[in-house]
Amino acid sequence: MPRMKTSVEAAIELGGLVKTYPGGASPAVAGVDLVVGRGSFFGLLGPNGAGKTTLVSMMCGLLAPDAGRVRIAGLDLAASPDEVKGRIGVVPQDLAVYPSLTPAENLEYFGSMMGLGGSRLGGRVDECLRIARLGPYAQKRAETLSGGLKRRLSLVIGLIHEPEILILDEPTVGIDPQSRLFIFDSLKAMNAAGMTIVYTSHYMEEVECLCRDIAIIDQGRIIAHGGLAEILAASGAGTVEIRAQCAPSEALLRRLGEIDGIRQVSCEGSIIRAASAQPTAAMCEMIRLMEEAGAGILSVSHGVSNLEALFISLTGRGLRE
Amino acid sequence: MASNLNKLIASVKKETRHLLRDREAFLLLFVMPLIFVLIISMAMRDTFREQGGVVLPVVIIDNDRDVVGPAVIEAFSSIKAFRVETAVEGNGTTEEDIKADVTAGRHKFAVIIPRGATAGANSAVQRQLRFVRGVDAAQVKVRLIADPQLRSDMRSLAAVSTGRVLQAIENRVLWERFAALAGMKITPEREKEIREILASNRPFAEVVAEDAAARAEQGDLPKPTSVQQSVPAWSLFAVFFLVIPLSVTFIKERQAGCLQRLRSMPVPVWVIMLGKAVPFFIVNQLQLILMLLAGMYIVPLLGGDRLEIGDAPVAIAMVSVAVSFAAVSYGLAVAAYCKTTEQATTFGGASIIIFGALGGIMVPKFIMPPVMQRLAVVSPMSWGLDGYLDIFVRHGSVRDILQEVAGLLVFAAAAGLIAVLRLRRTTR
Repeated sequence: MPRMKTSVEAAIELGGLVKTYPGGASPAVAGVDLVVGRGSFFGLLGPNGAGKTTLVSMMCGLLAPDAGRVRIAGLDLAASPDEVKGRIGVVPQDLAVYPSLTPAENLEYFGSMMGLGGSRLGGRVDECLRIARLGPYAQKRAETLSGGLKRRLSLVIGLIHEPEILILDEPTVGIDPQSRLFIFDSLKAMNAAGMTIVYTSHYMEEVECLCRDIAIIDQGRIIAHGGLAEILAASGAGTVEIRAQCAPSEALLRRLGEIDGIRQVSCEGSIIRAASAQPTAAMCEMIRLMEEAGAGILSVSHGVSNLEALFISLTGRGLRE
Repeated sequence: MASNLNKLIASVKKETRHLLRDREAFLLLFVMPLIFVLIISMAMRDTFREQGGVVLPVVIIDNDRDVVGPAVIEAFSSIKAFRVETAVEGNGTTEEDIKADVTAGRHKFAVIIPRGATAGANSAVQRQLRFVRGVDAAQVKVRLIADPQLRSDMRSLAAVSTGRVLQAIENRVLWERFAALAGMKITPEREKEIREILASNRPFAEVVAEDAAARAEQGDLPKPTSVQQSVPAWSLFAVFFLVIPLSVTFIKERQAGCLQRLRSMPVPVWVIMLGKAVPFFIVNQLQLILMLLAGMYIVPLLGGDRLEIGDAPVAIAMVSVAVSFAAVSYGLAVAAYCKTTEQATTFGGASIIIFGALGGIMVPKFIMPPVMQRLAVVSPMSWGLDGYLDIFVRHGSVRDILQEVAGLLVFAAAAGLIAVLRLRRTTR
């Protein structure tokens, strides 16, 4: 069992988590150690098949790890699954609402499943309808609601029992910008009120905008973790892009990759891209080497990268599952 | 525990709302099996009457209009295996009419007595009295026209019986001749006495068809009528058919992510399963009550037999509950193992049909070959049907159905356990 550094301030602590699916060639999650602080707005990014959903499923108690442990709010998930589940709210990627029930009935049902009852349940149903602004639709069947309204319903179902930690798996898929902004505002308000939020998404700008703490997972491993500025700086997230007259030789690309401070070089036709923590210095050295090699340069650009560039630089441009 | 009970109540409430809100589908759960039971009960009525040793309707056409015709009618009327529904004169009724009547199934066969049959009988007796050898019995041809769908054994029964009737008539004429030759004075009293003796001169043995294999397997147990077989059989089929809506609902819930959300909550698997099972169990019970009432009160209105349900209501309730447990548990197991609604519909539907075929729903077990009767034990529908037949046909009590109920409960427990284990495994 891997040693895990525990903290009273940690909302989620994952230690040495491993999960391999039957018949899987490699583990979906291959030894993940991760700590999410209390009150954090944590973003989990990863390409398709990176192990993101598996990791979140293990956090929620939906999937048992082969090895490692999960602690939520200081409680061991394996030892106290029901207590842990009572402290988290889950908003799955699927809408996960009953179409034949009304929003009020959906909230009432899931609230009952969380152990609420009586006036407290009634109060929470009303409060959630208010938060999601679903009051006018409370008695309409969910199947008749728009995609945005259903998403809002799905979100507040996760909040029905006032969880300490809210785990959202791509909660803005398939909704209009207004509903998306509404969800962002709601999440920011909840986080400001002290709720820990774990947010997984494919939309980099969402994570960039919302999350103060970000982890990128690929091939079952966390390959970057920290604050946005921190991981951009640590990962050499500056970029250089040079358009040459013709495709560079293998030897030139190799020399470019050996430049001090350059983390990765890629080539697409006659366009050379490089990632570096010091993009200006790297650009100058690249121009020098290309001129020495007699490669004509048509244009040059450089800049500090955003999360998407970092993500692509870390996980590559190749298509995933 | 109290908390889990509240969760169960909430789940049952949710599932009931879901069921009731699709009104058309909900009504179909009752209307379709009801129609099915009525149709099958009526359609199979005559087949079961043949099976049960009941009467075959026969029409006798008397073209002779002398002694033989009435004697044949009287003789057939006295045989339990036949019911002489109409005896018509040859005038105005063509042979084509008779054939059409028989082919349409209104009568199982027709006996056509030709013109001159009485004269033929007298002639035959005269020849016998004169010790003339080689009496030509074929001089008088009494024709037997049978329903093409009449089973061969029934056809043989009809032919043999007709032959015996004719033989009896011939014997009667012969007896009268002997009396005349002996010079007996026929006073009115003697004539009455002779007529009484003649009236009792029926075939010496009644021909009763029976299926030796079935009787060997089932002892001398009575066979059900159409309604006694069809109502419980097709009610069971309807009960098990709930496997499809139950599993489809469950799979849709899983595909929508609701099940995943529930599993992220402190809800035991058994609460989820029971929450779904209880409303379907209630639907099952309502279905069974409706079907039994239909057998008792609607089928007779349509000309069928009334369903006799015996005198053990507790036993009926026990079988009904056990059957429903088995069906609901099987539905949950199908739901747990099938990934898509298409799989559940195909597998669930096919397996129910196989259970039905093996279990004596589609083909009554007592006419199956012994090997198939033994194979029926793999079908829970067979145990359910045996339970009902024990009560309805054999007038069994609670003690008589314990074995079937136990089998159904074991099946239910096994299927339920499989479903729970599978659901735990797939959501952990």
